[in-house]
Amino acid sequence: MLFNSYDYLLYFLPLSLVGFFLLGRRPRWAVGWLVAASLFFYAWWDPRYLPLILASIAVNFGVGRVLHGRPRRAMLVLGGGIAANLLLLGVFKYADFALSNAAALFGAPIALPHLVLPLGISFFTFTQIAYLVDVYRGKAREPSVANYALFVSFFPHLLAGPILHHSEMMPQFASPSNKRPQAANLSAGLFLLCIGLVKKVCFADQLAPLAEAGFGHPGELSAIGAWVAVLAYTLQIYFDFSGYTDMALGAARMFNIELPINFDSPYHATNIREFWQRWHITLSRFLREYLYIPLGGNRHGPWRTALAVMVTFLLGGLWHGAAWTFVAWGALHGAALVCYRGWRRSGLRLPRPLAWLVTFLFVMLAWVFFRATSLANAAAVLQALAGANAVPAETSAASVQRWVAQLEGIFAPAAPTSVALATAVVLGGVAVVALQRNSNRMVREFRPDWVNGFAVTFALAFSVLQLGKVAPFIYFNF
Amino acid sequence: MAVGPASPLVERRARRWFTAVVAATLALLGACAAFVWWVDPFQQYRLASHYPPRFYTLHHRYINPGLAKHQSYDTVVSGSSIMESTPNSVVARHCGGIAVNLSMPAMSAAERKLMLDTAFESRQLKRAILVLDFNEFAGQPDARQDVAGPLPAYLYDRNPFNDLPYLLSWNVLLRSWHIVRGEESETYRSDPDAPWFWGGLKRFGRDEVLRGLDLAHLNVRFQQPRRTLPGMRASFERNVLPLLRGHPHTEFDLVWPPYSILVWLDFAQRDQLDVSFAFKRYVYEATRDLPNVSIIDLQDEATITHDLDRYTDLYHFDPGINERLIEAACSGRERTTLERLDESERRLRAQVQAIETPSGLARLVDREGSAAEAARLAAPPAPRK
Repeated sequence: MLFNSYDYLLYFLPLSLVGFFLLGRRPRWAVGWLVAASLFFYAWWDPRYLPLILASIAVNFGVGRVLHGRPRRAMLVLGGGIAANLLLLGVFKYADFALSNAAALFGAPIALPHLVLPLGISFFTFTQIAYLVDVYRGKAREPSVANYALFVSFFPHLLAGPILHHSEMMPQFASPSNKRPQAANLSAGLFLLCIGLVKKVCFADQLAPLAEAGFGHPGELSAIGAWVAVLAYTLQIYFDFSGYTDMALGAARMFNIELPINFDSPYHATNIREFWQRWHITLSRFLREYLYIPLGGNRHGPWRTALAVMVTFLLGGLWHGAAWTFVAWGALHGAALVCYRGWRRSGLRLPRPLAWLVTFLFVMLAWVFFRATSLANAAAVLQALAGANAVPAETSAASVQRWVAQLEGIFAPAAPTSVALATAVVLGGVAVVALQRNSNRMVREFRPDWVNGFAVTFALAFSVLQLGKVAPFIYFNF
Repeated sequence: MAVGPASPLVERRARRWFTAVVAATLALLGACAAFVWWVDPFQQYRLASHYPPRFYTLHHRYINPGLAKHQSYDTVVSGSSIMESTPNSVVARHCGGIAVNLSMPAMSAAERKLMLDTAFESRQLKRAILVLDFNEFAGQPDARQDVAGPLPAYLYDRNPFNDLPYLLSWNVLLRSWHIVRGEESETYRSDPDAPWFWGGLKRFGRDEVLRGLDLAHLNVRFQQPRRTLPGMRASFERNVLPLLRGHPHTEFDLVWPPYSILVWLDFAQRDQLDVSFAFKRYVYEATRDLPNVSIIDLQDEATITHDLDRYTDLYHFDPGINERLIEAACSGRERTTLERLDESERRLRAQVQAIETPSGLARLVDREGSAAEAARLAAPPAPRK
């Protein structure tokens, strides 16, 4: 079920809330209700994958119990548990990729299984790997299978994160007061959910056709058209994923559960390290704690650190999707982080606006690989950005005219949008990203009053009316 | 991390705010839904009566289910875009009864089934004329052709709880507003007798057909999908046979329409000729024991298929041919037999062979030549039942 659907907003979420709070006086029933609702939410997409997530939960819970008993060969048990999770991920997510590359390498045709990627598999697998490592380290313990199932399957975070720590969730699930309706949390949650919905339907979905048209026809793009398309995607992915996260955090807040923040104005970052402290924060945390530090972190000199960073980001890129474009994207970010560490050690500093510009341009160009359908497609877009498809030199007026005509020719056929609307959405998106307080701050400063009451009412109603053309969230693919 | 209870004052204020916002949002959405329900621009709940109906261009998938549920009819015409220019009155004239044309552009077999299931759920039909298109059986049996807009499955059932995408759609709300205000916001037709008629909008003629066409690679322009016999059979078994078997009291006419002969040349160029003939033979075999099913085949009628002046492109013919097709279906004189099937295949293969040579093709596209070619290829009529 999509967050941006009538079924979720008008039926599922209200019924889940009502059921949860009605059963709140019996905590075990309330937990059972929420687990059932979450599994229903998951099965709505394709019930055939319900046994998969159930099996994953059961196996990891069992391994966690064994680890908690401090067996003599705990490391072996942990390794087995992690291997089982990675095997699941590997089969469903990377089998086609690995086999097609093997076929290309050895020149032998190999039949591909073409398995459908179960929604959220990357997220619930990572969440459970983190749980097993935490149990092994003595930081987590979960004796109740129902509570564990709720920790993994709680629907607001199930499909696209945030990636949770067991320790930050279980006390909240266990709290009896959290099973009673709290108007302050209901209001703040609704407010946050509304912000996320507006980000998704009013920005991300409007920007999508611009990016789609540009990346779909890179050979026809002028340099300006290419920059517009890449900027549109840069904004789209931010509004899409942070909109999803706001909706997830908002829904969880309505259940009196606070999920960790995942975005903190990432496009305000003035260096690439800061970007990763602001973008998909829980993934960065996971990669740091469960990959980078175990690989040695920064404890063994600059070269080992650089190697750890590169391995972490290459795998982080691959986690996003089974394609070389994602590997390239991860490699670019890893290399940028390595360069940044060297730059910082040199003691050189850029003026803040210039540092922001360099960071933003790098992130934007790296998104080309993330969005492209292939490395060749990425190369074509980069060529267009460099003006490889440039039109002959003209007067500025004629150039603008040509650009407008190109926008009409390239963008308009792909979507019921006009040049004016496209321009407004891109400029509006830039303005929101640059000037607007981020949603974390907005919800922190939220006070229920009539002004934001009217704003939320109209924004919610307008956004719901836009749901006719349902577009999945980008991160559901990962 | 945990978000604990707030003070009683904050809770009271938040409760008021939350209740007011939820109530106001639901009231606003309810008002929008009620307005759309009352105007009902796609005629989902009733036929348009207090304003001239608007059959919006390319909105077949949204409006046809409403027509299937509420229009008065006992005969259905179902086909792809080639059948859109068939007025209901023409069908009634040749077939008797009251007809509705539920054709949809680029329709897949699964979409046809959904459409006809909706019609059958609303009433018992006397007759259903199914104009078959090879391409509708391409791909998976449940394939839908989103090229002409996604199919809103929620409008094809009787479940009012899944109609929200219609009742709460900004686009539908705007259309409702335009209707109430009498504003013309987009192109549409208002004639309920021929809601999807495009015969008056297109130009017919060989110049039109040949414009931008690469005669050596005909599919470059049309990009039609590749078909396989097992795939087509699976689609027919899932989407057509259950209809034929499930409604034994309805007379079904399966009609093979007269594409221009260039379509068959395209099939030959793409190695799709054999699969097409094999599929026609399969359809015959699969339905021969069903007494309520007839097959009408006009695909080898050279006087039509070689006369490019009667087409606007390879596939789409003028409304006169639509009428000829309906007349053939309802007259009962042109039912296909096994002999007729063999004869049709033999003729079509000969016709394709004749235009596969440069001189043959030149004769076809030449105005004088094609009439002569048509006369030459029009062999004596094959035996008909």
